[in-house]
Amino acid sequence: MSAIIHESGLRTLIDGWLASGKLVAAPVEVSGRVLYQRLKSSGEAILESRERPANSIKQFLFPRHQALFRYRLNGKQVELVDSADDTREQIIVAARPCDAASLPVLDHIFNCDCKDAGFDEARQRTTVIALACNSHDEACFCTSVGLGPSSEAGADALLVDLGDSEFEVRVLTDKGRKLFEGRTEPGTREAPALEGPPRKFDAGAVRQFLANGFDNPLWGEESVGCLGCGVCTYTCPVCHCFDMVDEGNAAGGERVRNWDSCQFQMFTQHASGHNPRATQSQRQRQRIYHKFSIYPERFGALLCTGCGNCARNCPAGLGVLRLLEKIDSRVRQQHV
Amino acid sequence: MIEQLRETCRRLLDEGSVQVIIGYGDSLPGKPARPLFIRKSEDVDQLTWGPHCLPNLTAYLKRKEVKALGNAAVIVKGCDEKALVVLTKESQVDRASLHVIGMACDGVCAPKCAGCKMRTPRFADEVIGTPSDAEPKAGTRPVTLEDLMAKTPAERWDFWKGEFARCVKCYACRQVCPLCYCERCIADKNRPQEILTSASLTGNFAWHIARAFHLAARCVECGECTRACPAGIPLALLNRALAEQTEESFGYQPGMDPDAEPVFGSWKATDKETFIR
Amino acid sequence: MCNNLYKPDLMEIIQVQRQTPDVKSVRVRFRDPARARAFSFRVGQFGIFSVFGAGESTFNICSSSNWKDYIEFCFRRTGRVTEALWRLERGDTIGFRGPYGNGYPVEAWEGKNLIFIGGGIAMPPIRCAVWYVLENREKYGNVTIVYGARKVADLTFASELDEWSRHARVRVIRTVDPGGETPDWKGEVGLIPHIVERSQISAANSVALVIGPPIMIKYTMPVLDRIGLRDEDIYTSLENRMKCGVGKCGRCNAGHVYVCTDGPVFTMQQLRSIPNDF
Repeated sequence: MSAIIHESGLRTLIDGWLASGKLVAAPVEVSGRVLYQRLKSSGEAILESRERPANSIKQFLFPRHQALFRYRLNGKQVELVDSADDTREQIIVAARPCDAASLPVLDHIFNCDCKDAGFDEARQRTTVIALACNSHDEACFCTSVGLGPSSEAGADALLVDLGDSEFEVRVLTDKGRKLFEGRTEPGTREAPALEGPPRKFDAGAVRQFLANGFDNPLWGEESVGCLGCGVCTYTCPVCHCFDMVDEGNAAGGERVRNWDSCQFQMFTQHASGHNPRATQSQRQRQRIYHKFSIYPERFGALLCTGCGNCARNCPAGLGVLRLLEKIDSRVRQQHV
Repeated sequence: MIEQLRETCRRLLDEGSVQVIIGYGDSLPGKPARPLFIRKSEDVDQLTWGPHCLPNLTAYLKRKEVKALGNAAVIVKGCDEKALVVLTKESQVDRASLHVIGMACDGVCAPKCAGCKMRTPRFADEVIGTPSDAEPKAGTRPVTLEDLMAKTPAERWDFWKGEFARCVKCYACRQVCPLCYCERCIADKNRPQEILTSASLTGNFAWHIARAFHLAARCVECGECTRACPAGIPLALLNRALAEQTEESFGYQPGMDPDAEPVFGSWKATDKETFIR
Repeated sequence: MCNNLYKPDLMEIIQVQRQTPDVKSVRVRFRDPARARAFSFRVGQFGIFSVFGAGESTFNICSSSNWKDYIEFCFRRTGRVTEALWRLERGDTIGFRGPYGNGYPVEAWEGKNLIFIGGGIAMPPIRCAVWYVLENREKYGNVTIVYGARKVADLTFASELDEWSRHARVRVIRTVDPGGETPDWKGEVGLIPHIVERSQISAANSVALVIGPPIMIKYTMPVLDRIGLRDEDIYTSLENRMKCGVGKCGRCNAGHVYVCTDGPVFTMQQLRSIPNDF
C-alpha cells in the first residue's frame, strides 16, 4: 500500500501554498531552458523529469547575492542595522534527488565550528519535495558518487512518477508529512524500478590518485580548454565559495555576500600581486581536490552529487566529469 | 572533409611549423563539440567536424595557457574568422605566425546561420571543403531585435529586468568571447568599483551594458555569449542593436574588411564631434 | 539577516602611528564596553578589519594578548581597503571580526629558547609574540630576534627593537639589504638568511618563528636546518587571501587545510604536507 497523488491534485496543492503566501519553486521552462525558479502559479511547474534544470536549488538557501547587514555612516560614527529576514516558508517541488542531496552536504560547511545562521534559518523554513528521475542524460553521474535516481538524501518527501499523471508520495520527514497529510490516496501501483546512469568512474580510484597526484601532468593537459568562467561552480548544487563586499555611498550601504568561483583568476590574487593559483590548471586541480579529497576528509562527504551540471553547461564541454573520467582511466591503465 | 582536415593537421605537426592544433573534438552526445589541443600527430584522429562544431575557437588565442603551447594552428568557420580579422587589427594576434585552417560550413544549427553569407572563410591559409548548395542548418531566435524594438522603452526595460534577474555573474559571456581579452577586466577592478560584482539588478545591468559598450563596433556576433549563458539570456541582442547602430552611423561592419579602420580606433577629419580636432 | 557570524564589532581608533612611508599601525578599542570586557584572544591570532564602504581585510592582531583595553594591527597601503584605512584618524570607526585562527602555541614554547626571524612587514606578527614572551619572562629561555627590511626606513616598530634589547637574555640583530643602509646605520647589512648564518645562533632547546615573504623563508630554512633546528620546531604564520575567516567561503583552502581555521600558524613539518598552492 502506498500513497498516491494525481498531478492535478499536486498542482492544486501548489496553488494553495502560493495563495497562503508561501514561496514555491520548481523547474520551469525559461527562454528554451529548464531552470529552478520561483513560481507564480502551479501551471508553470514542470512535474516530469525530462530535462535536468540547468541551475540548482542552492540559490533558495544560499542566494547568489545576499545582504549581511546595512551600515549608516555619520561622521566618525557607524551604525549597523540588521537586514530584514525573509521568514516565509519555502517549498521546492520536483527537485531532482541530486539537488535534494546537496542540502545535507552543504550542512557540513555551514555548520562546522560556527553556524551560518542565514543558511540554517533558510534550511529550517524550506521543505524539499524531490522527484525521482525516470530518465537521465549523458552528463548525469549520480551513481558514481553514491547516489541514484530515487535517492532520499535531503528530501522531505519523494515523488515517484507512476505514469498516467500519478505519483507515489513517499513522506520522509515531519515537514514532508505536514504538506501531504490528508492529500494522498492509497494506491497499489508499484513504482517502476529506476535505473540511473551507468558508473562513469570509481570514486575510490579517484581518491587514490589524488593522494599522490598533485604534480601529475594530467592537470595541465586536461585544463587547456577551460576558459575560466564560473558556470560549473555556479550551476553546481554544492559549490559554495563566496565573497563579501561593501556596496554603498557616503551615507552608507550594505555589506553583501556574493557567490564566488575558484575558477576566476582573481580568486586567490593577493593585493601584493602574488597569485598562488595563477594558471587555470592549478584552479581546476584545486576544484577537484576540494570536492573529492579535502571535503570528504574533513566531513566524510563528497562535495559532489553527480548532477552533471558542470559537464552539461560547460561551454568547453569539460566539467568535473571529464577530469574524473580521465583520472579513472589513468588509474585503470596503470593496473592493466 | 574530416580526413582532409586530419591529414592537414598531421602534416603541420610533423613538419614542426606548428606545435598545437586548436580544433574540435566530440563531446557528450547531443552537445556542441569541445575544444581540442592536439600536440602529437598521432592524436589528430580525435579531431571532428560537423554541425556540432559551434564553439568559436579563436577565443583560445587570448589564453596564456594556449600561448604557452607554442605556434598554433586554429580551425575556423567563416563566422569565427571575423574575430580573427578584428584581433589582428587590434594587434592581439600575429597573423603571420598563426596558421588558419578554414572549414567550409553548412551551418551549426545556430540562429546566426540563417542566411549566412560566410560559408567559406576568406583569409585562411588553407580551406577544406566547399559549402553545399542547400540552405545552412540554422536555429531560430526566441526573441529578435525586431520583437524588442516593437516594444515601448518601458516594455523593453521590463524585458531586460526579467532577463537580467537570472544572471548569476558567472562571466561565461566574457570568457567565451574572443574579443574580451583585457588582462584585467573592468569588472575585476575595485579602485574604483565601476561595476558592482553583485548579481543584483544594478550589478547585472551595469555589467552587461558595459560589456556591450566595450564590444561596440568590435563584436562579430559569433553568438558564443548567448550559447554559453547558463541562464538563457539573449545577450547577443544587445550587440545586435549596437551593430545596427554602427553600420548606420559609420558604414562599418566589424570583421569583414581587414583593411577597414576600426571605428573606435581611428578618426576622420569629417567626424561629427569637434573635440577630436 | 541576523547572521552574527559576519557582523563586525564597531571599534574606535584611538591611535595611528606611521611606521614606514607606506605602513601604519593602528590601535583600536571596542565601542561597546561589554564587548571590550568579554574579549580576549591568543597571541598570534588574526582579525578581519573593515572600513565600512571599502570592505574587509585580514591582519594579524599585533598587540600582546596580555594588553587589555585595546588591540593593534599593522597594515601596508596596497589596495582598496588599506588605502581607505590610510585616510582614517583617531576617533574614526572601523569594524572588527575575530579573533580567528589558531595563534601561537605559547604553552608548548615554555622553557625553550626562542628565535624570531622576520622580514619587512612581517615584524608585526612577531612583535606581539616578543612582547608576550617578555611579559612572561621567567617562562622562556634566551630570546634572539633577527629582523630585516630592504632599507632602514622600512623597519617597523624600530623603537621597540631598542627596548627589547635592554631586556635580560635578549639579543636583537637588525639588518637591511645591501644598499639599504644609511650613513649612520649601526646594524648589520645583508640578506636575512646570510645574517642568520653569520650570527651563530644556537639551536639548543630552541624553537623558531619565521615570518616573511616566501623567498625569504625559502632561503632561511636551509640555514636553520644547518644549525640543527628540526622542521617541527620551526613555526611560521601564513598570509593567504582570506574573506570569511571562519572556514566557510573556501578561499584560503590549500591542500587539506583551511588557513583561517587550521592556521595561520603552522610548523614547517605541517607546511610540507600542504601542496605548494598558497
